[in-house]
Amino acid sequence: MQKPTPRRKLSLLFPVCLVCVFAGSVRAQNFHGIQFHGFANQAFLYSSDNNYLTMQSNSGSWRWTDGAISATDSLTDSFRLGAQIHMYQLGELGGANLQLDWATGDYKVNDSFGFRAGKVKTVEGLFNDSQEVDASFLWILLPQSTYPVDNQSFTLSHLGGDVYGYIPLGKRSGTLHYTAYIGYNSLDENGGYVKQLADDGLAFKEPPGGKTYGRDVRWAAAMRGLTAGCSAIVMGLDGSAPAGIPQVPSFLVNTEYAQFTKGKFYLAGEFRSTPPAKALTLELKTFPVPDDYRAWYAMGSYRLASKLHVGTYYSHYLNKSISTPTPAKYSKDWVLSARYDFNPYFYGKIESHFLHGTGLGYYGTDNPNGLKPNSDILAAKIGFSF
Amino acid sequence: MMKLQYKFRWFLLLGILAACSAASAQEVILVANKGLQVTAISAADLRAIFLGTKTRFSDGSHAVPVTLKGGPVHEVFLRHYIGQSPDEFRAQWRKTVFTGQGAVLKAFDSESALLQYVAATPGALGYVSRFSPSDDVKPLPTSK
Repeated sequence: MQKPTPRRKLSLLFPVCLVCVFAGSVRAQNFHGIQFHGFANQAFLYSSDNNYLTMQSNSGSWRWTDGAISATDSLTDSFRLGAQIHMYQLGELGGANLQLDWATGDYKVNDSFGFRAGKVKTVEGLFNDSQEVDASFLWILLPQSTYPVDNQSFTLSHLGGDVYGYIPLGKRSGTLHYTAYIGYNSLDENGGYVKQLADDGLAFKEPPGGKTYGRDVRWAAAMRGLTAGCSAIVMGLDGSAPAGIPQVPSFLVNTEYAQFTKGKFYLAGEFRSTPPAKALTLELKTFPVPDDYRAWYAMGSYRLASKLHVGTYYSHYLNKSISTPTPAKYSKDWVLSARYDFNPYFYGKIESHFLHGTGLGYYGTDNPNGLKPNSDILAAKIGFSF
Repeated sequence: MMKLQYKFRWFLLLGILAACSAASAQEVILVANKGLQVTAISAADLRAIFLGTKTRFSDGSHAVPVTLKGGPVHEVFLRHYIGQSPDEFRAQWRKTVFTGQGAVLKAFDSESALLQYVAATPGALGYVSRFSPSDDVKPLPTSK
């Protein structure tokens, strides 16, 4: 991928600044019943050692820009159409390419049953379907053990259909919310997995994709603020490469999660795992994929004031398939974060990471001198949404 | 005697605080379109409707929740009935919109505009600090 020229860097930053300057005069637009919403944000990342997330972060990097526009039209009480286009630049990933985040027709038969079809956000865990909606949470980086930002566009949505709804369990038992889906998913040709495979010598004519299906069930307790649930997703990948046809057979990812909100406090945690023994076949050869991971995080936050929100989390990733005790086997991240809302549309965040291990977020081509085992990271972001 | 006076002052203070809290909640009146058949709404249903997880009243009719854009009545309604601050409520709906799971609720600059909309829209449900018979809406009490 070509590195953008300084002019191109400015061209990505300028519209974000323009939007932020005129934040106060922009609100969600509504034309003939069609609602338009959008967001844009610009971040800065510095790391004490190692370059992180394909950015030259060891020198300080501004190459992290994100923006999206959505349009939604409720044609009837039960039927809604909508779509969202998105662009991002994360170091060498993304680029000035517009992506379709989602485009759905949504029909709700009743509160217990509805269905969506098109390109649909994938409901998995607490944050998968909203991981790119920076304005909706405190953190600059969600726990990378479960929501790797460099592969966000792969896990964000699927092409297919969902059924969803909720089932009341009684006054004292809360409600059960379900989503089940089936569809097709493919790697982002400008995303982290494709870059990592290319760095390892495997380039694709087209990014690999395959069938995906899964479900999410979450219980909202009668006690206000408590939610717990579990997700399961099955996915496989087929691709086309000059070296042959790579295939990864379907594998299952399980996630369990819970969150609790009480007044100004928020607590949440997730645990995610994949089974061992994944393999990549290329023509008649089989290569084991050393990816048997256990990932979890625990987070908490507190609203110090109506506009000031602070929090912390610990994110843990362990690849059990790597037998030698090297830093590449794990990633342990202690994080402190703060967010200030200047007004309903414009906000700023600052965050520090104390990152041990090199299991996640690092690319060999960006660290030609090798990786140090630990790195401290400082991130800052301004954002706007309407 | 001193101990009694001390206790009395604490009870008086608690009573005043409770009265203030009750007064804050009573400043908000739920109003609905007169065509709505339900005569009361549970606190859980009200919360679910305004958070978008429920789209129908208990009789199966479609709910059209509307809000104020800001102000003390809006804040009291959100804190007392929804359990969220205006910022949390806004973040929740932004997540809903940007995940393609809903559309933002219609919001009004003034209570009079909200009342006009509720009066004219079947299934509409909102909140105000006061209303008069000429507003052509009906109050909707909450039931536990």
